[in-house]
Amino acid sequence: MTEALLLRLALLLYLTGTVCGGLSLVNPGDAMRRATSFSLAAGFLLQGAAIIARSFEVGTIAVASLADQGALFACLLVGVYLLAQFRYRLAVLGAMVGPIGFVGALVALVAHGGAQDVPQVLKSPWLPVHVTLAFLGNAAFALAFLVSLVYLWQEKQLKSHSVGRMMRRMPPLETLDNVNFKFLGWGFVLLTMSIVSGVLWAELSFGRMWSWEPRTLWTTIIWILYAVLLHGRVTVGWGGRRAAALTIVGFFVLFVAFIGVNVLAPGRHAESFG
Amino acid sequence: MSDGTARVQPLRAAREAEPQVELWVFGLNHKTAPVELRERLAFPEEDVADVLKRAIAAAPVDEAVLISTCNRVELVAVSARDVDIVDPVTQFFARERGVPATTIASHCYVHRGKQALQHVFRVASSLDSMMVGEPQILGQMKAQFRLAVEGAAAARILRRCFERSFTVAKRVRNETGVAGKAVSLSSAAVELAKRIFDDLGDKTAMLIGAGKMSELAARHFVGQGIASVIVTNRSFDRAVDLARQFGGTPVPFDRYAQYLPLADVVLGSVTTSGYLFGPSQLHEVLRARRRRPMFFIDLGVPRNFDPAINDLDNVYLYNIDDLANVADDHRAEREKEAVQAEEIVREETERFWQWIARRDVTPTIVALRGKLDGIRKNELERALVALRKLEPDERRALEAMTQAIVNKILHPPLAVLKQLALQDASEAAQVAELVHRLFALEPAAARDATDDEEER
Repeated sequence: MTEALLLRLALLLYLTGTVCGGLSLVNPGDAMRRATSFSLAAGFLLQGAAIIARSFEVGTIAVASLADQGALFACLLVGVYLLAQFRYRLAVLGAMVGPIGFVGALVALVAHGGAQDVPQVLKSPWLPVHVTLAFLGNAAFALAFLVSLVYLWQEKQLKSHSVGRMMRRMPPLETLDNVNFKFLGWGFVLLTMSIVSGVLWAELSFGRMWSWEPRTLWTTIIWILYAVLLHGRVTVGWGGRRAAALTIVGFFVLFVAFIGVNVLAPGRHAESFG
Repeated sequence: MSDGTARVQPLRAAREAEPQVELWVFGLNHKTAPVELRERLAFPEEDVADVLKRAIAAAPVDEAVLISTCNRVELVAVSARDVDIVDPVTQFFARERGVPATTIASHCYVHRGKQALQHVFRVASSLDSMMVGEPQILGQMKAQFRLAVEGAAAARILRRCFERSFTVAKRVRNETGVAGKAVSLSSAAVELAKRIFDDLGDKTAMLIGAGKMSELAARHFVGQGIASVIVTNRSFDRAVDLARQFGGTPVPFDRYAQYLPLADVVLGSVTTSGYLFGPSQLHEVLRARRRRPMFFIDLGVPRNFDPAINDLDNVYLYNIDDLANVADDHRAEREKEAVQAEEIVREETERFWQWIARRDVTPTIVALRGKLDGIRKNELERALVALRKLEPDERRALEAMTQAIVNKILHPPLAVLKQLALQDASEAAQVAELVHRLFALEPAAARDATDDEEER
């Protein structure tokens, strides 16, 4: 009951944040930017509270269904964005993150009640740690992906010498490139920590630290992909368009693998979350 | 009364003594021609004097001034009223620069008479500039005008016309907000740099060529807090001079490439026969600077940088036209500002045009006034001899009275002549000739006084 109410309020706030974010592109100013951040922050807190409430209901972190995962992902995405917002002025991202939060909250609301119980074997304190780290990492990668989209769009405008009014509201290319790098770095660290936590958990609980199954395979691929991208960045100075394009490719692989593994593939991750 | 019949002036005399003139502007600018064509038609400064001589020889023009900048190539000329100079001038440019005459013809504009005058005033006042209100054009015009004066190509009419245009420009600058509010190409460049770089405070600008335009742009970048400036120039002294102004570093022109990897913003404004560098050289530079973005601004005519470098990753190349497009966003605002300036130009055009137009009737007016005053003085002299014993104040009264009679008689015909000169030049000329005949005036004597006559 309370959960549905919280989600409804979160929906409303995300919607407000999206509208304010859009308006701040047309009509920039601190007031509009602050309204965007404030609405999204309030939405984030309410949705977070809903997820926590639901988790108490389930007994551990609520990630059993795809809907639950989507909601958690969207919520953490907004959260990471809000953290980044302290450091960089990224109003344009606010306008993109708002709808994602909205959809996440909507999915949670619609799927409400259809909760699947988490198998007893996975009800461990490791689960929230492992899952939260993984989802935070994904959220950072998703933000890197969004930043890269903005980068490519703006780069194209600058190259083609058609600099419109809209572009003056965008952060400079260099900022976008730096932010992209930061998100990638954080995503990579979180992903690594999530893998490490998973390995430890598997070792301690099941006595086998690694089992090859679709999810771990894909995670490894994605980890290598991002590792290469970051390595190229640090050593050769891959930046700009190339980095943005690779970030987009990386997230695309991540997204497809996530959905694909969830829907199709068997394995410990799947049997628990399927 | 009796001796007048023998010395009737032939009708032609007045016309030959003071030929009626036409003012022309023949040219193309950033609005009518692409930069490639402007580049091809631009004349190097050292050639201008010779070019003007050849133009005067080749086309039926008596005076000529060339305005050749990166945004325009214009010939301001004076010809006799009934000749057409468009075709000969087109052919002349075509021959000089090896451009097909049809190409020139399809990109050029021709103004004559009052419109030509207004155009010159607008150009000087920077109202016709790509960036309305930018300050360089006036200096460029002054320099080109000086060349024309030194080469004896600008004589009485163009000299007055240009000098007045400089006064008009000054008025526009002082009395309107156009210059102050102007968003120049330079600030468009800075604006773009801010779309690329997140902080100019740790960036370096490099000036290749120390021209006026890049100096101005550099000043904008410095004003926006760019960290350092490197200046290179063919004349090293000038590089040192400019570098000192910005607290920058001068480097010799033959070694600037070494310093290129340090530069985030590169402003090119040298006169070259080819590109300074292309994609392959720049590739090395980018590697040396770990592919951090570079922003190239090509202010040179002909172009300094190979357009192909814009295709390299992290390289952004803008030439003057591109900058103008960016700056176009503010055009509406600026044009509002410019309305007042246009009003000044119109007013000044009107005023100066009267001077030109009256040039046709001025000799007649001077001659007529001289003739009547001569008669008055003669008759007064004679009367004074006859009256002999007159007090000084009585003499003065007589003097004043005769003067008043002459003035009153002269007033209506002179007013008609002046008015006619403004309205219908050919009719004014006919009437002037008639006056010459009726009063048996001497045209030759009148001509010397022409330039002294007021331009009110």
